[in-house]
Amino acid sequence: MSPTASAIIAAIRARPQQFAELADAHRDVPWPDFLHAWGEVRRANILGRDDNGNYRIEPCEDKA
Amino acid sequence: MGGGRETIAAVSADEGLRGEAEGCPMKKSFRDFLADLDGAGELRRIKRAVDLRDVSALVNQSPQAMFFEELKDYPGWRLAGGLIGTRKRLALAMGCAEKDVAARFEQGLGRLIEPVMVEAAPCQQVVRMGADVDLAAIPYPLMHLFDGGPYLSGTFVTSKDPEFGRNAGSYRLMYRTPNETGIDLVSPSDMRFYYQRQLDRGRPLEIAVAMGVHPYEMLAASYKAPIDMDEYTVAGSLHGAPVPIVKCKTVDLEVPADAELVLEGELLPIGWTADEGPFGEFSQISGDVKWNPIFRVKCITHRIDPIFYFLQMPWENDWLAAPVTEAAGLRALRNASVQPVAIRAPVGSCGYWTLIASIKKRPGEGKNALLALLSVSEVKLAIVTDEDIDIYNPDDLDWALTFRVQADRDTIIVQGARGKHIDPSIKAWELGKGGLPTTAKLGIDATIPEGVPKQLYKRIQYYGKGRVKLEDYL
Repeated sequence: MSPTASAIIAAIRARPQQFAELADAHRDVPWPDFLHAWGEVRRANILGRDDNGNYRIEPCEDKA
Repeated sequence: MGGGRETIAAVSADEGLRGEAEGCPMKKSFRDFLADLDGAGELRRIKRAVDLRDVSALVNQSPQAMFFEELKDYPGWRLAGGLIGTRKRLALAMGCAEKDVAARFEQGLGRLIEPVMVEAAPCQQVVRMGADVDLAAIPYPLMHLFDGGPYLSGTFVTSKDPEFGRNAGSYRLMYRTPNETGIDLVSPSDMRFYYQRQLDRGRPLEIAVAMGVHPYEMLAASYKAPIDMDEYTVAGSLHGAPVPIVKCKTVDLEVPADAELVLEGELLPIGWTADEGPFGEFSQISGDVKWNPIFRVKCITHRIDPIFYFLQMPWENDWLAAPVTEAAGLRALRNASVQPVAIRAPVGSCGYWTLIASIKKRPGEGKNALLALLSVSEVKLAIVTDEDIDIYNPDDLDWALTFRVQADRDTIIVQGARGKHIDPSIKAWELGKGGLPTTAKLGIDATIPEGVPKQLYKRIQYYGKGRVKLEDYL
């Protein structure tokens, strides 16, 4: 897993977040690279959603 | 601006597009529309390289449509956004006056023109299949603060059913991975119906997503055509020329040959199970998380010098929706033998939920007109006035509503009609995954009631008007 993908997972694990918050935290990463990293996170199949649209990682889903 | 037509048109020489259509009039392309905007001073060019993450805010601040000549991290791509941000620019696309867009669209439904197949197409100058498919390599923008991810919005999506034939609609696509997107398929549509039929057989539904097509194609896609009507023929009629189409590389579908970008693939037979959204909806609100199918992309094709179309929500969507809703209203009125004078789907109702019409009324036709207008799609408020009311003037409309309406006699409420998820008042969250909502509809007959003498509505006229001139006293 790329460093950016790992950082995204760590951020969501710390607290549920909007996609825009994750994007803001990685403004230094070129957008195509960020999208690749997001794809890695998606493929890890660990993400859940809350009613506000935040991405979250449930403890039972937290295998990454 | 000016002079831009040469610049944009110069790269749009769509050689080979005529194919079997040799001798037919050439329809306008997305690039022709950009050139039209440029020529009318409605396109602002930005030469400085822009980060894709800044595009949404920039387009939102510009009174003109925008054309970014260089995208950071996307060499070779350019981006156009906010193109139909006003009714004026919609009218420019349709080659008519602003007040005539509904009639112009309705005219396009009258004489359908079949598309023509071509062998070579600009939209397939570059082809990426299999392991080369990478959605992160196309400018996939993040549009709104609360969106669940980057989105494609200005899409023209084609699907096919063995029994009902080809269909085209417009659907948003949320980036998930380099070869998968979410797709919003919660609302009733022909493609949802096609997908459900395939799902029942445990099979995927092939689709092809074209981007960067002329607004006529977008309008045709927005129109809720009868299931056996091919939207490509509607677009052809609007153009007055056949739409050149080309076979896709990996699916049994066709796409507009002059598109800028095409995604080919299939909707996986997983039903409404994958999270999708929120997305800044055409209802002008942020929306919520929905459960939807996944689109797996098998092939990406595009022009060698592609222009990405950034459809700015909600305004472009709303202005595109308005003439479609208005034209459907005109048709419904005429089918009910009611003579319309003017019709309007206000942008405050997103060009979709409200229809206001003035009519030449005979006794009882105020109510007939309401019944007709309320039959249009998900229109939930219809107002009908006499022809003396200027329905584009809110004060005039308020006056009619105030003095020609008795609520107990002149309103109609219909319960349990088809609704749309993104209207929060229908509480769609109470439905199960894939469930369809219903809505109530209200009609207000603001025509002069039967039995009330017309002279009671005689407007004030100023004594001496026409004879006395203010300038004579200045």
